[in-house]
This record gives sequence, structure tokens and C-alpha cells, in this order.
Amino acid sequence: MTIVDRLRPLLREPLVYFLLAGALLFLLIGRGGDNEPADRNIIVGDAEIARISANWERTWQRPPTRAELDRLIDDFVREEILYREALRLGLDEDDTVIRRRLRSKMEFLARAEVESVSPDDATLQEWLDDNAARYAEGARTSFEQVYIGAGGDDGEELAQLRAGADSASVGEPLSVPRSLERASRTDIARQFGEQFAASLDPLEVGGWQGPVPSGFGRHLVRITAREPGEPARLSEIRQRVENDWRTATLDDRQEDAYRALRESYTVEIAGEE
Amino acid sequence: MTRAKLRAAVTAIATVGMVASGFPAAAVAQGNAQVGGAEVPCPTRVFWGDTHLHTSNSGDGVFNGVRLTPEDALRFARGEEVRSTTGIDARLSRPLDFLAVSDHAELIGIGRRVAAGDEALMVDPTLNRWHEMMNESVEQSIIAARELIVGFAQGELPELMRDPAIARETVASTWSSYLETVERYNEPGRFTAFIGYEYTSLPNGNNLHRVVLYRDGTDIIGETLPYPSTQSQDPEDLWRYMAAYEQRTGGQAMAIPHNGNLSNGLMFAMTDFDGRPLTRDYAERRQRWEPIAEVTQYKGDGETHPMLSPDDEFADFGNTGWDNANLDASAAKVPSMLAGEYAREALKRGLFFEEILGVNPFRFGMIGATDSHTGLATGDEDNYFGKFISDEPNANRAGGSIGAAIRGRVGWQYLAGGYAGVWAEANTRGAIFDSMARREVYATTGPRMTVRMFAGWDLATSDLTADPCSLYDRAVPMGGMLSGEGDAPRFLITALKDPEGANLDRVQIVKGWLDGDGQMQERVYDVSWSSPDERRIGADGNLTPVGNTVNLDAATYENSIGAVQLRTVWTDPDFDAGERAFYYVRVLEIPTPRWPLFDRLRYGAELPEDAELVAQERAYGSPVWYSPAG
Repeated sequence: MTIVDRLRPLLREPLVYFLLAGALLFLLIGRGGDNEPADRNIIVGDAEIARISANWERTWQRPPTRAELDRLIDDFVREEILYREALRLGLDEDDTVIRRRLRSKMEFLARAEVESVSPDDATLQEWLDDNAARYAEGARTSFEQVYIGAGGDDGEELAQLRAGADSASVGEPLSVPRSLERASRTDIARQFGEQFAASLDPLEVGGWQGPVPSGFGRHLVRITAREPGEPARLSEIRQRVENDWRTATLDDRQEDAYRALRESYTVEIAGEE
Repeated sequence: MTRAKLRAAVTAIATVGMVASGFPAAAVAQGNAQVGGAEVPCPTRVFWGDTHLHTSNSGDGVFNGVRLTPEDALRFARGEEVRSTTGIDARLSRPLDFLAVSDHAELIGIGRRVAAGDEALMVDPTLNRWHEMMNESVEQSIIAARELIVGFAQGELPELMRDPAIARETVASTWSSYLETVERYNEPGRFTAFIGYEYTSLPNGNNLHRVVLYRDGTDIIGETLPYPSTQSQDPEDLWRYMAAYEQRTGGQAMAIPHNGNLSNGLMFAMTDFDGRPLTRDYAERRQRWEPIAEVTQYKGDGETHPMLSPDDEFADFGNTGWDNANLDASAAKVPSMLAGEYAREALKRGLFFEEILGVNPFRFGMIGATDSHTGLATGDEDNYFGKFISDEPNANRAGGSIGAAIRGRVGWQYLAGGYAGVWAEANTRGAIFDSMARREVYATTGPRMTVRMFAGWDLATSDLTADPCSLYDRAVPMGGMLSGEGDAPRFLITALKDPEGANLDRVQIVKGWLDGDGQMQERVYDVSWSSPDERRIGADGNLTPVGNTVNLDAATYENSIGAVQLRTVWTDPDFDAGERAFYYVRVLEIPTPRWPLFDRLRYGAELPEDAELVAQERAYGSPVWYSPAG
């Protein structure tokens, strides 16, 4: 096994990228680069001048004149000197704005990779399997209902229905469907309320039963068919799964990256053991 | 931290809507010989949604501290758990069927660049200062927001914010990322994610805002960017932009005005933007581009006002504080402005203009919306998440001042809701948009009651139990037009309570008409109410009140009063076949606790003495218009 082979699993770890990026930043800012805070040499190279010029152009939609560029470079040098002196004095340490800014840059590093990646089917299928309950098509219920009002119930309507009375002639009219076909739990809850939907769950397919309570009052119910739920197929809800995967993964990556850093710190908080 | 998490109830609809071509005409019934509109569909259910929601793409949203994105907003609306900007995990107990994230078009996305400290913008000292304030604390951020809003209202924004190149670049990148997100969340048949934005016309602080809503997807909208009020504050220019869009792409769009109550009389004025008299051409275009209006939302209720409707005992709702000035409270309101601000009066003015111009400029249906700037489209009193993030659940929001305490606006005056109920055949952009275009929609202040109305001559009491689909052949639904010359038309009305909510007090018909002298008139009729054996209309014309079961200590109510359902077939006892009129339904719930009462219970909030703690939530149906034949 070569070194590259050994490293391969590591390269699939986003955390590794995060740490590498951090190390790179550290090298650029802390050690290497042209402009090191610790020394007193400032070198404004061609690349720096080009960057200054391009930044101006982005704002004003034209390149700076020679005089403008000179002024921008002067300003850059001034900022660099004051920046280094400020760091030397530790002025960055108790500045809320600077701390927030750096924090959000670190968090962005952890998230950036996931923002642009296109997950493959295997990744999404795994996510779908891990969160099957969230996507499963629940049981479908077909039923008839008769509304018997909000008041008491002496069992008379139920007796009529069980004796074969036409359901349209029993009970009180209500502006909800008298029957639903292959309705999901959420479909039922939406029209009759959550209490009614939950009350249907334990009822068996067969004859008239009840009363069943709803947000409107009481109902007599006949379950005519019930089909068990099916696991969701990725091909049918791929976009939704990808949306959810991306949102959750972004949060996880950011949290993982923080945890990894947090482990190397010892934190003591007054008043806590 | 409060953990506001309720059970999820995701809606699944299997059908796919028919695709209509062109703007569908509203159904028209004429005389006793009924003529149904072409291709009349049969909407079988109500879909619930919010057409007006802001995220961190809106300048005032992000400056006030919100960090939630359009994606967060869409996830929340469709029922996922989302963490609010202030760190509260929130989930809608009942997801919405549709949502339009409608951020302010002006400088859309630039607030996020300032918040992030974008180098190109930080060269401006004001923007640099705002950046620091936004990242320092909520309090500082709110001060920066106030500076931004005042600068915007008074046309004094920092130069870079007005720079066309910066604006172009920011808008284009923000908008394309928004389009990409919305498309990922639009699931025809299950959840409709509309594309839209807010056109924020605000001349001198007077609110002429419109939400622009597209029927189309990114494939048609393509490179079309939002139209900002920085181009023109005149809504007619927005309509021209929309017309050009439709002509170029074959797509469809509508504009939905809101908060006329903060326009100081301009929203439904008797003149155009430049103060000239309205013309037939103006009326045709306004009716064409603005088929519905958002009449109730967090910043107050815009149905009517006690000064406009002194005989309406329920007119005093959701207007306290909002009726003292314009949007930024830079100019006080005087009573003569009210008539140009509220929906009922505008509908009456519409009849007047139809008489003299031949076309009604204010033929609009009514919806509710939130106008939340937290990214969270919440509409319920017991789970109010606030207008801005400083109004997310906390002990001080109800008693604290709004903005700079200008003109005495206080937190409790915010309403907790506003949703749109849409009768449509399917949960798709096409079906819901088409229903809005033909005005088969209604507004609620948050509860999801089912309200339906049909009007025509061939309606009988037996039709109350008929299949509603069978009625479209011989009557018009809400939003439709009647034309006749003899008998009074009949109105079939059904109202069913929200299955998770309060019982109903009463159903009313609000009639507006133009009398024989050309004067605008209005009258409210109680047409159906609970406990009819015990409650009567007294000598003063008022119905016995339904009562009040609210327990102020526990923030609860009992459904021991009121009705589950109210239905009737009603005929106007004062009908005059020669007079133009409109009729719309208003449904009142029994009294229930308002959100400040929950705040007192949960957070120990101290409430001002005049805070309103109990209200009768309501629904407003879109009108049916009657005009004399010939």
C-alpha cells in the first residue's frame, strides 16, 4: 500500500480539507507571504497592484488613472502599516466586529465545499434510507363519514346506518367531503383536523363505527379500504431529498469542524465543575 | 429559550392543474339566462399560502438583523424545522401550500453584501459604518436599519448604493441565486414556490408598495430582473414593465398592492400618480394588472375604518396606531386621507368610476399575507414570530415602541397574521395564479376557515347540499360578475370553522352601491349566525353579541359558543336592479386571545393598559359585482 493509498480515505473527509485550508491560511498570513506583520518591510508587487486596480474597476467600471492608482497604492501602504501596528498592539483582540468577521470566514470555509457539490444517487439513497420515516408515503385510507353534530349522541344514527340506511339521509350536512378515497393522514387532518385523523388510525375496515371526534364535532365512520404505506423512491423525490441532504450536511460539516477544533482546547468556566 | 415546535402536517395533493392560456376572464352570469365563463373550472379545495415574505435579501430585513435566506423561508413554509435568527427552533404546526418569497427589489441583496463587509462597498464610510453596526449588536443594527429606511424614503442613500453598476451586479447575482433556490423547492401538486418580489414605491414615505407575482418559472422569466421603484415610483411604469415582460416572453404576472392604510390616501386615490383624473385607459390597466389586493397583514387591517364605516360595529379592527401617519411616520394622517386607503371604500369608488368611465379600476379580490421580515411565515396568534427579528418572541416586544416610537406606534398593534385562501383545482403555480387572476380567493387574519360564495338567479336552498361543481354552470363564484335587470340575485354562502380553531360568530354580507343620485353607499347585513333561537337583530340593527369565553389569565377560549358551520341562501332586501353594487362575505370568529396575551403568560410581558388582548378574527371574501344590463 503506497502512501497515496493510505491517504485516499482521508481525502474524502471534508474535515481534512477544512484543516488544510486553515493551515494554508496560517502559512500565508502568519509565516510566509510578502508582508509579514512581524517585520518592517512592505513590498507592493505587480500582483498586488493588479488587485488594487481591479478592485477599483469593479466599483467604478473603469480602470484608475495613474494619479488615482498612486493614491490607491499610498492608501494601501498606509493601511498595511496601521494594520500591522494595530496587530502589534493587540487591538484586534477585543473588537467584536473583527471577531465576528473572522468567525464567519472560518464557518464559511467549513461550508463552502458542500455548497457546490452535486451528491450522487448513492449518497442520496443512503440519506433517504437513514431518514425513511420522513419521506415514506403513509397509509392511504378510504372512508365514508356522517356528521352527527357537536352535541350528545344517543346511538340512534349508528343504529340506522348499521341497519342499512342511506348514509346521505342520516346526520347533519357539513361542508366537508362525505367520503375520501385513498387519502393520506395529512389529507385527512387538513380537512377534518388532527384529532379526527389520529382517531381513524386504530379503526378496522368494515362497518359503521363511532362516534369519532373532530374539530367540528362527532362523526360516524366506515373505513372502506386501507392500503399500507410504502417507502419513498428516490427517483420520485430526488430534488426534495437533495435539498434536505444539503441543508443537513452543511450544518453537520460546520459543527464537525468546530468540534474538531474544540477538542484541542481546554475550557474552564467559572462556577462550573 | 422557548422551543416552539408543533406537530407537522404536510399536505399532499396528487392532481396536476389544468394549464390555462392567457389571463382567464372571471365568470359572468347575465340576467336569468345564465352564461358561464369559458372553461369554468371546478376548484374542489382551498389552498393556503403567503404571497408576501421577506428574508435577508431585503435591505430592511438584513439591516434589522435577519439572517435567514429564501431557502430557509421555503423550508419553513413547507413544514421543515428551521432555526430562527435569534436561535429559536421553529416549525409550522400546519405547513402552507404555497409561498412567494417577495424581497424588496430595490438593491436586492446589497444589504447582505454590506453585512458581509464586501470590499467594493467598504470604501464608502457610511456603508463601512453600517457594516460595523450590523455586526456589533442587534441594537446597533436596528439603528443602522432606521438610517437606511429614512435614507431610502427620503432619497438620500450613500452614493455607492445608488451606483447603477453595483446595483446591476448585486441584483443580477442575488436574483439568479434566488431563482435557482425557488425552482428547487417548487413541487407541483405538493408545494408551490412562486417567484416574486416587492416593488417598494414610497413617495415621501407614503406606501404604494406592490408584490409582483409571476405565474412562470425560470425558463420563462429568464434574464428578466425585478423592477425597482428607484426606476420609477409611478405604479403605471411597473405595469408597463410587466406588459413588456408578458409580450416578450409569453409569461404572466400580476401586482398585488398592500398597506393602503399607510399611503396617506394615495393607494386608491381619485387621481393618478401625477394628480390627473383617472381615465378609461388607466382603469383598464389597473384592473388588468391588479386583480387582487392584500388587505390584512402584520401592519394592520385594511378592510375598512370606523370613520369610513360608522354604522359597522366591527370596523374597529387592526387599525390602532397604523391610522395616525404614513409608513415611515414622516407625515401625519388627516381624516380626509382615509377614503383613499381602505379596501371597502376603494370598491365603492370603483363603482363610481365604472359609472363615469365605463370601466372599474378597483375591481379587486382580497387576500391576506404576513409581510414577515423574519423569513418565517407565521399566521397564528399563539405562535407569533414578529415583523422583524427584534419582534421574535421576547418579553418586551408587545410593550416596546415600533421604530423610533414615532407617532406612538407600539408593538402590540402588530397583527399576528394574514393568509390567502385560494379556491383552486390543484396546488400548482398555474392553478393558484389563475384563481387569483379570476379573484376566487379570500383573506383571513390567520385562521383557516373555509368560506365559499356563489351568486346568481338560479340558486335555491337545496343547493346548499349540492355538489359545488354543479353550481359553476348557473352561478358565479366570489370574484365574479353579475349583470341583470329584474329580480334580485341570490347568494349562496357557506362558512366552516377552522378544524383546529375557534367557532364562528356570524356571516355578514357587506354591500356597497351607487344610489340613484350617484352617491356611494354601504351597508352590512348579518345573514347567518350561531344560536339563531337566542340571538336577534335589535331595534338598533345590531345582532345580539355572541359572547366571550376568553380566560385572560390562561389565554384560552371555549368553543361553547358560536357555530361550527353557517350556511344560507340570501337575497338582498334592498335590491335595486338599476344600481351598480358589490357584495362580499365577512365571517367573524368568536372572540379569541391575541398574541400579546400569550406573551404575558409565557414571558411575563408587561402590557400597556390600552393593549388589545382579545379580538374576533375574520375572513373577507372577494366581492361579486352586479351591474344593470345594457
